[in-house]
Amino acid sequence: MASRFQITRAAELESLPIFREFITECCRRYQIPEEIILDVKLAVDEACTNIIMHGYKGMDPGSIILSFRIEAGRILVEITDFGHCFEPVMTTIPDVEAPLEEREPGGLGLFLIYQTMDYIDYEASAAGNCLTFTKNFPKRS
Amino acid sequence: MFKRLKVKAEPSLVTSEVPNLSISQFIGDASLPVTLRVVNSLPENPKLRLYRTLVPVQLLADFDINPRTWLNSDKQPQVRLEAENGSNKVKISAWHGEDESETFFYLELADNAYNGIDLNFLIVSNPFADRFFTDIDEQGRATFFGTVHRNLAEEEKAMLAGLAPGQVRLGLRSSQIVFTHIEIFLIMMAQHAYFLEPLSYVSAWIFEKRGFAYIKGHQLMDSIHGEFQPGGELFRALDGSTPFRRPEAWRTVRGRAWAIQDGILEVIGKKWDGLRMIKQVGKHAGVNTIPGVEY
Repeated sequence: MASRFQITRAAELESLPIFREFITECCRRYQIPEEIILDVKLAVDEACTNIIMHGYKGMDPGSIILSFRIEAGRILVEITDFGHCFEPVMTTIPDVEAPLEEREPGGLGLFLIYQTMDYIDYEASAAGNCLTFTKNFPKRS
Repeated sequence: MFKRLKVKAEPSLVTSEVPNLSISQFIGDASLPVTLRVVNSLPENPKLRLYRTLVPVQLLADFDINPRTWLNSDKQPQVRLEAENGSNKVKISAWHGEDESETFFYLELADNAYNGIDLNFLIVSNPFADRFFTDIDEQGRATFFGTVHRNLAEEEKAMLAGLAPGQVRLGLRSSQIVFTHIEIFLIMMAQHAYFLEPLSYVSAWIFEKRGFAYIKGHQLMDSIHGEFQPGGELFRALDGSTPFRRPEAWRTVRGRAWAIQDGILEVIGKKWDGLRMIKQVGKHAGVNTIPGVEY
């Protein structure tokens, strides 16, 4: 059976360091390389920030459930919330080479997740919104 | 942070809008959720067969009620099902003895606007325990669990007897088995989740233990816990000014709940209102906003 860990916190910015620490602890249990830990933390941070800033906008914030699983050669992260749903489809790729004054504000979070993760899936249902992403990591020899 | 955000204004339709349920729907896609309104359109017997799963067998056995017939040993009916054709609700009540109004089990589920099921009411109380008239005020008006009117004298007696706000009798400590039965029923109906609004701080604490998460109110629960810690605003407001604001009340979930029932959240500019919880079928959310505090 795959190892699975889970943490649930309120959808507020104060929860972000707790989520980051949770990812770090889970990854270190399995001696995941530091550069992979950074990528996963970045993706979780961006996704959770989005939920906090937009998903629960106008609501007394509810929960974010963050779960972490290790399967053969990959990390699987699942983030569930119960706010407004969004569809994380990249319609345009932000021009990260453009001068700052020409760039549109925001838009980098999803880009970063797509850049750093190997697989992304999103499902919205009556049971909440679930963003799943996976990151492959090299097996230790 | 993401730039594009698409918010769904309307819930998507997951169940076919048919006036009546045919057996072909049960034979068809088993992953398609079925609403209570559709189940209620069934003939009485198949409807009864489905809804019977909502009443825990163990609970009925404790009161010598046959789980198949819902009759007691004197062949008297002890369980009532209300699930009329055209309604989107199901109500089930069970009582001990001859007085139907003294229920020990009452469950009410309803379809909601988001293709889910709401748990409107769940009461599991010990019919042999002392009854407190917290549900009726001194003028004989319904208190609606103390939310509209209050019967302070009865509430104080109930509190001293170990009850939580909203209770008229001690419970049977059977919520775990009741929730298991609700989930089994919802799995049969291919529902993803069910929802509720916790009546009191105690209710929210119990539902957290049973695996619920918050759609609204997680942050409020964290704030309440924080402010009940020594030095916090709610802690300081436990000044003994009413029987429900005893200085030691912060130490227990029940003590805090009575202070909240008494309106103590005003001191932090909040009300016990608008909390909404969700239980994903087959999953435990692991929420614990009141760590290390006893009932």
